[in-house]
Amino acid sequence: MMENLVYIALFAPFASSLFAALFGMSPRQTFVGIIASLLLFTSFVASALLAYYVYTTGNSIHVTMMEWISAGDLTIPFGFLVDQVSVTMMTVVTLVSTVVHIYSIGYMDHDKSFNRFFSYLSAFVFSMMILVMSDNFAGLFIGWEGVGVCSWLLIGFWYHKADVTRDENPSISPSWAANEAFIVNRIADLGMLVGLFIIYWNVGSLQYDVVFSALPNLSGSVLNAAALALFIGAMGKSAQFPLHTWLTDAMEGPTPVSALIHAATMVTAGVFLVIRANPIFSMTPEVSFFIAALGTFVAFFAASMALVNRDLKRIIAFSTLSQLGYMFAAAGLGAYWIALFHLAAHAFFKALLFLGAGNVMHAMHDELDIFKMGGLKKAMNWTYAYMGVASLALAGIPVFAGFFSKDAIIETAFNEGTYVLWAILVLTAGMTAFYSFRQVFLTFHGKARYDESTLHPHEMYKFVLIAMSPLALLAVIAGFFMGGFQTFVTKLLPDYVMSEHTHHLIWVLTAVVLVFAVGGIWLAYKKYANGLKRDEELENSFIYKLLANQYYIPQFYEEFITKPYAMLSEKMWTSVDMKIVDATVDGIAKLIYKSGDGSRKMQTGNLSNYLNWMAVGAVLLLVVAAISAMLG
Amino acid sequence: MDNILSVLVFFPAIAGLLGFVVDKESARTYGITVAAIELFLSLWLWFSFDSANAGMQFVEMIPLIPDFGVSYYIGVDGISLFIIIMAALMTLIGMMSMSITKNIKNMIITLLFLEMTMIGVFVALDAIIFYLFWELSLVPMLYIIGAWGGPLRVYASIKFFLYTFAGSLIMLVGMLFMAYVYHNLTGVWSFAITDWYALVLPVDYQLWLFAAFFFGFAIKVPMFPFHTWLPYAHGQAPTIGSVILAAVLLKMGTYGFVRFSLPMFPDASVMMITPIAVISIIMIIYTAMVAYAQKDIKQVIAYSSVSHMGIIMLGIFAMNAEGISGSVFQMLSHGIVSGALFMLVGVIYDRRHTKLMSEFGGLASVMPKYAVIFGIMLMAAVGLPLTIGFVGEFLVLLGFYQVSPIMTILAGTSIIIGAIYMLAVYKKSFFGPVTNEANKTLKDLDAKETWSLVPLVLIVIWLGIYPKPVLEPIDNSVKAMLVFMDEKAITKEAKDMIKVAKSSQGGV
Amino acid sequence: MIGLSHYLIVSALIFSIGLMGVLRRRNLLMLFFATEVMLNAVNIAFAAISHYYNDLTGQMFAFFIIAIAASEVAVGLGILIVLYKKHGTLDLDDLASMKG
Repeated sequence: MMENLVYIALFAPFASSLFAALFGMSPRQTFVGIIASLLLFTSFVASALLAYYVYTTGNSIHVTMMEWISAGDLTIPFGFLVDQVSVTMMTVVTLVSTVVHIYSIGYMDHDKSFNRFFSYLSAFVFSMMILVMSDNFAGLFIGWEGVGVCSWLLIGFWYHKADVTRDENPSISPSWAANEAFIVNRIADLGMLVGLFIIYWNVGSLQYDVVFSALPNLSGSVLNAAALALFIGAMGKSAQFPLHTWLTDAMEGPTPVSALIHAATMVTAGVFLVIRANPIFSMTPEVSFFIAALGTFVAFFAASMALVNRDLKRIIAFSTLSQLGYMFAAAGLGAYWIALFHLAAHAFFKALLFLGAGNVMHAMHDELDIFKMGGLKKAMNWTYAYMGVASLALAGIPVFAGFFSKDAIIETAFNEGTYVLWAILVLTAGMTAFYSFRQVFLTFHGKARYDESTLHPHEMYKFVLIAMSPLALLAVIAGFFMGGFQTFVTKLLPDYVMSEHTHHLIWVLTAVVLVFAVGGIWLAYKKYANGLKRDEELENSFIYKLLANQYYIPQFYEEFITKPYAMLSEKMWTSVDMKIVDATVDGIAKLIYKSGDGSRKMQTGNLSNYLNWMAVGAVLLLVVAAISAMLG
Repeated sequence: MDNILSVLVFFPAIAGLLGFVVDKESARTYGITVAAIELFLSLWLWFSFDSANAGMQFVEMIPLIPDFGVSYYIGVDGISLFIIIMAALMTLIGMMSMSITKNIKNMIITLLFLEMTMIGVFVALDAIIFYLFWELSLVPMLYIIGAWGGPLRVYASIKFFLYTFAGSLIMLVGMLFMAYVYHNLTGVWSFAITDWYALVLPVDYQLWLFAAFFFGFAIKVPMFPFHTWLPYAHGQAPTIGSVILAAVLLKMGTYGFVRFSLPMFPDASVMMITPIAVISIIMIIYTAMVAYAQKDIKQVIAYSSVSHMGIIMLGIFAMNAEGISGSVFQMLSHGIVSGALFMLVGVIYDRRHTKLMSEFGGLASVMPKYAVIFGIMLMAAVGLPLTIGFVGEFLVLLGFYQVSPIMTILAGTSIIIGAIYMLAVYKKSFFGPVTNEANKTLKDLDAKETWSLVPLVLIVIWLGIYPKPVLEPIDNSVKAMLVFMDEKAITKEAKDMIKVAKSSQGGV
Repeated sequence: MIGLSHYLIVSALIFSIGLMGVLRRRNLLMLFFATEVMLNAVNIAFAAISHYYNDLTGQMFAFFIIAIAASEVAVGLGILIVLYKKHGTLDLDDLASMKG
């Protein structure tokens, strides 16, 4: 029974993808979207039932479908494991996916590739389910690459758009952004593969249970290498510095994709990997601290770029990056369950935020510049409410989900005695509140800054708004389940509780964070709630430009990696391959040809000449014979 | 049927001879029928093949020149079985998709002869028979490139012929010397490979012989820096020529390493791991970069072939079952994927008579089916899990990691730079707006093209999800070979380096 | 006393004369004669060495050579006559039709 549920949860999205693919090249069919959504909902129900089962019985379900690769001593099965961690992920993924599928029926309404979109989207969910459900590292890698390809397909969904300059569109074009995402992820995947190799040659298996039970026998250096290699893999998927540029460019994809893949699910795969492999990371404190430090840095770094950005979706993308930093900070400090909790809560409110942004885009005819919006509150009540709720949750205002999860992470940093990290995370919380509400105010408050005579913003379809409501609800109430969640997942994950000392100071700590969060919102309110006042001096300052250009990192990559690589490739071809390697071969051939051509002159046709040559030859042979006879 | 191998080898040739009397209009149907029967026979061979038996099966032996130990000696094991099936498959698919109309009868007959030589190489267990088929395979290919090729066809075909021929002559010297050594040590003449296996040679002899065989194989593979004939051959060859060349002929080189070099010269092979690994890594990285610089789609795929062959070479010299099995599997995977990619390039070439990427752009909007199949093959080429390309590449890198982590990481960059040039091709040809007027009216795949490509897509996915039926026989034979090499090795380094799988310890 | 070396010296001298003839002459007929001279030089050497070793094989060989030379002359002269009739000359410089 439970086994069947596992397969239903896993393969319903696959069936949905195949079904939509059948109609991939035919014109828009609404029923494709409906059936895909129904199948996704089936998968969600199955996941929820499994979650209930795991919650009530405390058992995990382990099924092995069949053998995949078997060579030498290596055996990799298609095995699936449903335990506290994976079932959490499954439920979150299928819930957000179902919402996004229904949302897409409305959002992609006018797109002629409607059917194709659902095929890709469901294929993504299937890959993500493999990723989280697999019982071994190789299976995880299947999902890992699978979500990468689906992300490539979906970022480049509007592949017909032409490349433009970076000034016009920082992502150049959807197909460019898609390729960038794929290639950057591949860099990290190499790290991940190396991690797999290290584990295999030291343990002899890639099954989680075998690997984790063999860890105590491994040397410290092996563990460190494995942990670091796996984390490099996680850095790519979760877009950690310096592999972060692809995530903002990925906003070229349709907004439901941004909500599902680039906010709620795929980008959290890196965090999931660290949580899943927590036995390895628990044994490597240095690597774990590095993860925490990098996470904290990214949290701040990304938030700083969000402060000045004018692109609705990019602001949310930076915010995602920043929140992923928080999750890594928690995971790196050993609070795996808090990281997982923030992952889930973040999935809800960030997906909601993106879908809200999608509504705005829909209303504004794909305008993304928040400087050209304003006053949308009147026309879009529901969207305003949703985005407001999501932003409150993101800013960490009490009773909303983000307050509980983010606050726990910040407390963890304090509890571990890493006060520098703590301070940065608190500061970042303030920045988060500021940029979230800067966006909300600029979009919805004040006067309209668009041409009201041509553009008449309208609210999204009703069914779309209703479909978004579960996310809104969860963004509000998810925090109250924190205690239950802790007892649930810590059956598997190491528990993390604050020390006595922290416990005493908890009110103070919470108050400090709250002061920053509320301060950020207040600042945003003062500056932007009554419309936009451009500050030329500020916008031309060095810091502002630095932040607006993402610290010039994309330009740096372009100048120092992309272009030199292309130039070097060209040189390798024209100078080395053609002028050296091939020219040598042709040179040898020419030498032989020329020697033949040169000796052709001997062929005079005159018998007398031939006889002379013959005599020369005979004499030469005699001399050779004589010399060899003398030499013995 | 005991003589199935002989039937497999000579059926296409006899059918090819009969092809001379076939009517010109029906030549194509005739060829496809013969190739289909041949594929059926090869599948039957697989069906009657005993997967658990790691040794040679269906062995036939007829003495030809008993005084010199030359005999018609053929057989098949897990390593060669699937390459034979792939050769039969790719010949059939290639014929089905062929768009050539000029001298079609000659082409069909040539292909059938080529099929004989290809299968002959992979079943031969006698060095002279092996050499015979090896050299004979050059002739039909020379003809295909020279007669149906592009503007530089004569240059390309002569370069192809002379280059590979020069290498195989050195190999022939090696074979003769090997037979001479065998005679000196045992007192009898023999060219049977299985007899040669039994010979334990001193290390210096092994090194010289390894070098002699190396030239023959390395030029065929082709290994850096002997690769420059390949882009010309591919660039000028007609589609069918490129398909067969990439899918099967290149595999002769890597197959030679597995069949000859490793079991005959285990100590020399172990000593040569580092140099060969270095060359392989240069092949992987350097040709991938050169591929990125190309303007012509076909040249990109030609150079990418060299890069992928580098992975195969690396796996062969991993000296463990994971690496070598992965490498043999990768031979099949590369055969099918690169064959399909060349066919796909042929599709667009037939329509536009150009292969320059700058002429295309936005093809995905005009030819969606074509774009989908190209996309699947591209993903298989960059080694996406659950496609055939991943299994081999993963096993090779996994296997070689045991030899050298650093070199594996360098070779592993192939998953990055492979994606770079492949995605660049896809972006330039398929994405973006349709700018060229000539592309706006292109027709999507027709029935003939679809039916020849879809089977390959199915195989790519089937063997990506469930490689076991293929991987298991390969793995059994490879494990047995490693046990044998380990017993035979005389130096301590070789004994240490050759890793016998735990599952095959305790006897063959 | 005339010994083996004397015969061999004579043989070598005659052979050299023949060789010079082969190298320097341009007329085909003269070349022919020069080769006959060389053959006979070899014959002398054969006969002398045969006598020196008391082994008749060498003399037998000399007879063979004489016989072959005779038949060669017969065939060769025939060819020369035909050649002369066709080209009107036997000068090698004029007969160079096989220039590469």
